[in-house]
Amino acid sequence: MILAALLLVTQVAAQDPRLERLDPDTRSAVAAVVDSAHGIGLPVEPIIQRALEGATKGAPGLRIVAAVRRLAVDLGTARTALGTSASEPELEAAVAALRAGATPHVLAHLRDVRRPPLTMALSVLADLVASGVPADSAAAAVLALAPKAGDADLVEFRRAVERDIALGAPPGAATSVRLNAGALDVTNSSGTPGNPGTPRRRPRP
Amino acid sequence: MFEREDETVERVIQHLRRPAAIDPGLDARVMRAITQAPPYRRRVWPLWSLLAAAAVLAVVLIARPWNRNATSKADTLQFVLVAPQAASVALVGDFNDWDPARSPMQTAQGVWATVLRLAPGRYRYAFLVNGVEWRADPGAPAAKDDEFGTPSSVVTVGGRGS
Repeated sequence: MILAALLLVTQVAAQDPRLERLDPDTRSAVAAVVDSAHGIGLPVEPIIQRALEGATKGAPGLRIVAAVRRLAVDLGTARTALGTSASEPELEAAVAALRAGATPHVLAHLRDVRRPPLTMALSVLADLVASGVPADSAAAAVLALAPKAGDADLVEFRRAVERDIALGAPPGAATSVRLNAGALDVTNSSGTPGNPGTPRRRPRP
Repeated sequence: MFEREDETVERVIQHLRRPAAIDPGLDARVMRAITQAPPYRRRVWPLWSLLAAAAVLAVVLIARPWNRNATSKADTLQFVLVAPQAASVALVGDFNDWDPARSPMQTAQGVWATVLRLAPGRYRYAFLVNGVEWRADPGAPAAKDDEFGTPSSVVTVGGRGS
């Protein structure tokens, strides 16, 4: 009966009505990836979202299928590095970090030095690389900050580095300077607003 | 009126304070009844027990209460795009199934904005201008792994005092 219940859950995942936005061939291929991912305990929502992103953006079916397959593989790599207890947000952020150039060893090290959730630390690592910081420098900085810095501290660190880069500093040097100069204290006391287009957190009522 | 009520209350109190006369054989009768009662027998229904255990196991496996972020806090975020020439702007991303109809943005003199409440996670998103033009958020980190040929941005809700 338990097996039947689990099979039912698998079928439900594969028949997600949101996938009807895909053409039949693409839907079938994506559903197979979703089924496989679910079968080995990987989160399926990121895979579904990637397929929906492709559908909304009008991407060809083959490209959508390739994207979701690649994502499923990367989610598996991320879970191997972070362990089976890693949450879905952590795995998604870990995929971004891996694609930014962080190694599975860096992910595992981060897991060892930082209390979960690791979502923000992994995202900051990926975002630093997206800003032009070399992957090894970004990884070293995040690993150095990870044991004690809060999520908000990591975000402020990333913003400070991005500001320095925008002002002309080489990305790697900006990261090192901010890290060595006690960037957390500097950025926390500066009161400088972040980039105007960045989604702003609204105070809780 | 109050004096009459006080007298009534006083009479009740006096009545309750009188010692009650108890039958001297009461204890013996009670003890006899207890010793003669049939022993309690728990009836076990193997099938129902099995079904209940299976149901509990299924719920635990599906809900995964050990998931560390299951109860993390959501965060309220404001998304803004300056697009004075746009006739419509929609916010689309991982948080709304990439459905342009779900999060239309409101404009005030060309500044388009909307507010969303997001659970912890890393979300990819983009702005869809006039239903055809994809734009990344100019101030947010870019999604470098865009595989569909259009720009996207990312926002992360940490769930730990972020």
